[in-house]
Amino acid sequence: MLGQYVVNGLLTGGLYACIAVGFSLVWGVLNIVNMLHGSMVVLGAYFCFYGVQQLGLPLYVVAPVVCGALFLFGYAIQAGLLNNLVGQPILITLTLTFGLDLIVNNVLIAVFSATPRSLVMDYGALEFHGIRVPVVRVAGMLVAGILTLLLYWLLRHSKIGRAIIAVRMDRHAAALMGIRIPLIYSLTFGIGALMAGAAGCAIALIYPVTPMMSGSFLGKAFVICVLGGLGSVPGAIIGGLVLGVVESIGTLSLGQQWSTSMGFIMMMAVIVLFPTGLAGKKGYE
Amino acid sequence: MGSVMEMLKSMLAALSCVALAAAPALAEETIKLGAPLALTGPLADAGAKSKQGYDICISAINAKGGVDVGGKKLKLELVPYDYQSETNRAVQIVQRLINVDKVPFLLAPYGSGDTKAAAVVAERYGTPMIAAAAATSSVFDQKFQNLFGVLFPNNMITEAEVGYYTKNVPGLKNVAVLALNSLFPKSIADELVKTAQAQGLKVVFNQIYSPDTTDFSNVLTQVKALNPDWIYVTGYTQDLILIRRQMEDLGIKVKLLTMTAGPAYPEFKDNVKSFAENVTTNSWWHQNANYQDNFLFGSSMKYNETFNQTYKRDATYLEAAATASCETLAMAIEEAKSTSADAVRKVLHDKTFDTFYGPIHYGPKGQNDVNAALVMQIQDGKLVVLAPEKLKQATLRIGVPKN
Repeated sequence: MLGQYVVNGLLTGGLYACIAVGFSLVWGVLNIVNMLHGSMVVLGAYFCFYGVQQLGLPLYVVAPVVCGALFLFGYAIQAGLLNNLVGQPILITLTLTFGLDLIVNNVLIAVFSATPRSLVMDYGALEFHGIRVPVVRVAGMLVAGILTLLLYWLLRHSKIGRAIIAVRMDRHAAALMGIRIPLIYSLTFGIGALMAGAAGCAIALIYPVTPMMSGSFLGKAFVICVLGGLGSVPGAIIGGLVLGVVESIGTLSLGQQWSTSMGFIMMMAVIVLFPTGLAGKKGYE
Repeated sequence: MGSVMEMLKSMLAALSCVALAAAPALAEETIKLGAPLALTGPLADAGAKSKQGYDICISAINAKGGVDVGGKKLKLELVPYDYQSETNRAVQIVQRLINVDKVPFLLAPYGSGDTKAAAVVAERYGTPMIAAAAATSSVFDQKFQNLFGVLFPNNMITEAEVGYYTKNVPGLKNVAVLALNSLFPKSIADELVKTAQAQGLKVVFNQIYSPDTTDFSNVLTQVKALNPDWIYVTGYTQDLILIRRQMEDLGIKVKLLTMTAGPAYPEFKDNVKSFAENVTTNSWWHQNANYQDNFLFGSSMKYNETFNQTYKRDATYLEAAATASCETLAMAIEEAKSTSADAVRKVLHDKTFDTFYGPIHYGPKGQNDVNAALVMQIQDGKLVVLAPEKLKQATLRIGVPKN
């Protein structure tokens, strides 16, 4: 039975990682705590729902289009609004994204209403030695994992990725090397939004989607960033999986009502013991 | 020239002041009903449904000319505010409605918890407040004179359920209970545990979950290991949808699965599709009960037809209770021949109101004590009544998922 709990934790954790990776990237590189991230995940979920359910398109066509749309949305917000505030204290950008979140969330309620909606696709479940693994969750986790690895590869091996890393390390030195900082910022925020869109599509397959769920996802992303380390892609994966498993064990030992608190208790412990996170590097805390 | 212009300007200003001051006198006199509504936040879906219920009552009453107050017809006017599903804000809004908007009557916020908090303010100012979505007895145990509740107490629901299932499910021995950590779900779960134990059922699992829970696979794995005959879950509709789907992910099979109150709403079925089959639920009202109503709609069926014409779907107990709360208030005002709080309050306490929702008797405590609990099940995609006998549409089907 313990095996089932660990598998439950890993499957949920994989999804958490996908939600958190974009949030972590934006926080790490831009020093912006993007309060809009949860709503972007929900926006992605709604777009996927409507593409598949209303337009009748297959998910593998809808998902990339949704990711592209979210990328443009994120890029536009950074280029049009947030770039004007670069270098301001973190609270200023936090307040701005908080305001944007309220607007987007209320627009979501006005357009889609608060009635829950979900993509119901029953692919069944696999069973090994009494441990059940639902196919749709594994698929969601795999896609999330592949995208996260792609992002990792992009950051390490592509020119744009190196530029993003350079900006994260030292904005002024990067500018002196000829990197166009506003462009890199906009691209990074766009990538963060793209990852939110991908997470949204995975979520639409698993959860009933309502505009109000954005807050819970934002909370998870927050914990994962602190656990894994800011701006670190492997950190988001590790943080997500650890949070998933800790919540699992928390439910088993203390009961369901304590599972969410377990994540926050662990976050406090990590802040005290490992200020840079489990996989973060010194200097990015 | 300049001074003439100045004079003209000041005359114009004076005229507009007079016009503004006169404006309220020209406006039609109405009876204002203050309504704190959960239009955003976690309760937004339920909040929107409550508003639909109020709107349909108000437009029906206004369509027949308004409320007859001692020979004078006065129209009803809803004064709504969004309290964002935050209890503190609901309390502030009730204060504002009483002090700034000067509403003579209130319609309570959604749910037992928010109603309980708001009722304190209504009581302090002596403003009658009718609650359409509070069923927990503890809300009405505060000896308040101004709080009235349309929904009868939770224990009447759980007694009807346990009574019906112990008779109709062969070999029903135990039950596992999971409830959202919120006043109403916790209270109905407590009542269920009490009733089940009294009827000789063993409660093998009894836990609560926090409102922010995003995954139920672990708690359901625990329940699966206990292999109960009956699983009883109560919480927000979106939680119930996720729980039903995760039960399927984990391959949980059970004789009886009861969920309160999500399956009573069409979105439950829309979100779980075939997994909704054989899920049982309960309700305070259903149009098939077909109660007669000589004041407003004619009958439960006709109420539902009116609702369906406006919103293109059937009404659930939630909208019906909202409509009934506004309707009983209008009936009480007519009976009292006055809009004074004292006169209306007295009628609300004393009278039994015959409405499309069924008989409503608020009584001295304020909570409707006419029991009309319905036991229901989703069969072939439709919500059908299993009990009481006189409203029965189908017999219970055992086994979730459906074989």
